[in-house]
Amino acid sequence: MSSEPIERRVSYIGDRLKGSSCSLCGKEYFRLKDYCGTCGRKSFGRMKDIDFFYEKGVLEVCTFVKQPTNKFVKLGSYIYGIVSFHNGKVRVPGRLTDRILNGSNIDLSSFEDREVVPRFRRRYTVEQSEVIPTISLTFTFGDEYYPHQEYEMTKPRKEYETPGIVGYGVYVPRFRIKEPTMERSVPFIDEDAITAAVEAGKLALVHSGIDQALIGKVYVGSESNPYAVKPIASKVAQVLRLGEEDKTEGLQSVDAVDTEFACKAATSMFKDATALVYYPGAHMPYIMVIGTDNSQAAPRSEIGGELDFFVGYGSSAFIFGKQDVIAEIEGWYSCTSDTPDFWRRDLQPYPRHGGRFTGEPAYFKHISKAAEKLMEKLGLQIDDIDYFVSHQPNVSFPIKVARAIGFKEEQYMPGLQVVNFGNTYSGAAPIGLAAVLDKAKPNQRILLVGYGSGAGSDAYSLVTTSQIEEKRNRQEFSVQHQAEDKHVEYVDYDTYRKLKLGL
Amino acid sequence: MSPQLCPIIVGVGRTKFGEHYEKEPEKLIEEAWLKASVSAGIERKDLDAAYIADYFLQITNKIGIEEGFLSELTELHIPMEKTRSFSSALLNACNSIQAGRYNVALVGGMEKMTDRWEKIRDDLMLLEDPWSYYAGCTPEANHELMLREYMKKHKISGENTEKLNVALAQISVKNHHHATMNEQAQFQREITLDRVLAERRKVSKPLGLLDFAPISDGATALILASPGVANKQASAPICIAGSASATDYVTFPAREDRTSFVASRIAMQNALRMADIRQNDVHIAELYDQSTLLEMISLEDLGFSEEGEAWKDVYTSCKDYQGFYVANGRELFVNTNGGLKADGNPLGATGGAQVFEIVKQLQGEAGNRQVKTSKELRFGCALELEGFGTKAYVHILRRN
Repeated sequence: MSSEPIERRVSYIGDRLKGSSCSLCGKEYFRLKDYCGTCGRKSFGRMKDIDFFYEKGVLEVCTFVKQPTNKFVKLGSYIYGIVSFHNGKVRVPGRLTDRILNGSNIDLSSFEDREVVPRFRRRYTVEQSEVIPTISLTFTFGDEYYPHQEYEMTKPRKEYETPGIVGYGVYVPRFRIKEPTMERSVPFIDEDAITAAVEAGKLALVHSGIDQALIGKVYVGSESNPYAVKPIASKVAQVLRLGEEDKTEGLQSVDAVDTEFACKAATSMFKDATALVYYPGAHMPYIMVIGTDNSQAAPRSEIGGELDFFVGYGSSAFIFGKQDVIAEIEGWYSCTSDTPDFWRRDLQPYPRHGGRFTGEPAYFKHISKAAEKLMEKLGLQIDDIDYFVSHQPNVSFPIKVARAIGFKEEQYMPGLQVVNFGNTYSGAAPIGLAAVLDKAKPNQRILLVGYGSGAGSDAYSLVTTSQIEEKRNRQEFSVQHQAEDKHVEYVDYDTYRKLKLGL
Repeated sequence: MSPQLCPIIVGVGRTKFGEHYEKEPEKLIEEAWLKASVSAGIERKDLDAAYIADYFLQITNKIGIEEGFLSELTELHIPMEKTRSFSSALLNACNSIQAGRYNVALVGGMEKMTDRWEKIRDDLMLLEDPWSYYAGCTPEANHELMLREYMKKHKISGENTEKLNVALAQISVKNHHHATMNEQAQFQREITLDRVLAERRKVSKPLGLLDFAPISDGATALILASPGVANKQASAPICIAGSASATDYVTFPAREDRTSFVASRIAMQNALRMADIRQNDVHIAELYDQSTLLEMISLEDLGFSEEGEAWKDVYTSCKDYQGFYVANGRELFVNTNGGLKADGNPLGATGGAQVFEIVKQLQGEAGNRQVKTSKELRFGCALELEGFGTKAYVHILRRN
């Protein structure tokens, strides 16, 4: 049995890699320390809080673990070693993640003395009923798929009348499975909807350059939270230190909530975020909205297994505000009907499809309606819109609905990311939006239409600003990078199922 | 320390090490203590106090208050204290006897590791820091990291890498050879260099199955007495001339030097100072070969070999093994009982087997494994570690 207080303490330090540094001699420690061993009593009260969450380290020495202890068995073989930060001022133990090591001959020296980036992951296997242990003493190489990026806070230059997106981040892992019409993203075994949400949020902060303490609320939309009861959003808020931090109590002054409406759990909240930052009485300069899913699907041989050709894994995070906006939200429209086209009952591991409702009475009806109603409301014609992005459960649906509304290939293809990553459920339409924002020029209009089974759609019209291009340089880990990076690794079906099931 | 003040080992006893699946831990310590009391010629009522050691009985056998079991066993109500390692128990017993508090103390150690075969490697992680465990450390991983750091620090490459690897394998072969002459050892059989190397190749690792000490059950005991009492009893008294311990960070990655154990170095220096001898006076040593690497590292830490040179001493000595290492140009007998590797490593009892061996050797009663030295064998030392060098205990024994 795990102990909740221990889990709380370990993850409070370990998720963020918190440490201390002595303001007298500069000595640094991993973990919080109230005094410095070198300076002794005079350093009491003069230790500064530091953390290594956005830092890069060096894997100094490592070994190949083939026989892990019991809780690590599902990880298979892995590299374990010593990682140093700040030129050896601090050394921590670490495990390399995102590597499938099947070969018996491993040249350890090829791993050593390379830069590594801390990654937030599940720690090890526990009982299904227990608190999920997490940690960031897991690392990947900075010169591979996931680059090291500094989090530089910048003072905002311009305030906009219309609120909108001020930064965003997309995270999909480097593992993929190939299908006839698409590639699907596959989590590594220590990943889940929680870890992806933190990754995306981290990347959005890096891109936005805002002060994370100014975030007033975080929404996390998901339908694959590994907990039936316990929010992902609280983990995101704690790890990313959103809102003002009260260190003595270990509290973040932020509102955090999970939302659920199948695949529109995140897009639905864009309007709430926009409205909150606009309302002066809220005193919330920024709001973060995350869509994250380890999209669930029964194995192909079972009922509901038809989904197992399409589902992906990934997350996207958007930060809304009025300062240094890159895309203003000019309007929205939502529609809802009680249509059971897709559901998952409590305690059931995999969702089911209501075959007769899938498609026409659900996806197509709601998306077309939302798109057309919003265009009507804003007086927009097809030609006024530069990009059309819709929810993308497969390749054919979003193309079909885009064509039915009247959009042309150049309008809908840039946002069609399901071909690269599969259906990432809550993250699917937002990843499409991110791909478009990665490319869009200033003063372009994007029509985003999310869809959630059950059923409903939210349509948004966004107009990019001149700041979109200057902020672009802040994000190396773009959607295109993740789609095309040479470090992407393909796995077979059995490996995919094992990885997806997790620790 | 002046000879009048040195505590004296008046009797030693031990069980065979290995898998005792038919015996409760109490039966093991009973056997060891009875043997020790017989060899000391004392009765249980002569005991003033007992110090006993084990690491894991709470976990492996759900025994929480070992002292209570021992009280019941001996039908005594004397003060008893429990520590982790045998050497820790011994050091505490030495302190109290030197302080004049007790005249006769039982020092014992036991472990029952095979009762929890499936989980014992996880249990062993209790000896590492939790953060290393959280990051995926295994009981073997730090040994492997230390070896790599050692090679980097001393720039060992090419042909020398080969020699170092062979030297480490030879340590295992040598210890197994010694154990063939120890009827109490867990593995009383020779192994070949090729087998040690083959086990490494099987897992493509620098250290393989035969480089590591096994999982063992066993118990050891000794009777420690104040000089006044002992001189009346023992025929060939062996005294503890020096005893010292030192500590180090539990977090291996946070240590300044990861190619040696600073705790071993400090403990040895202090034990030598207490015994008022130089390390050259020590001709026989029991070192803590949790892995072959640790025997090699300990040769350096205790000052028998120069830093970065121990593997050369081992390699040369084992080419045509004469029963001892030639380290720094002089003979040194190491792990003549087979070491942890072949004698066995029931954690809480291990230190007792080390002392048992030194006592027998110094008394000239080690049977067919009795070492033959050109000079009189007067001093021997035992190094025991807790965790991965987190604590080190050095005891220097002298034949009076």
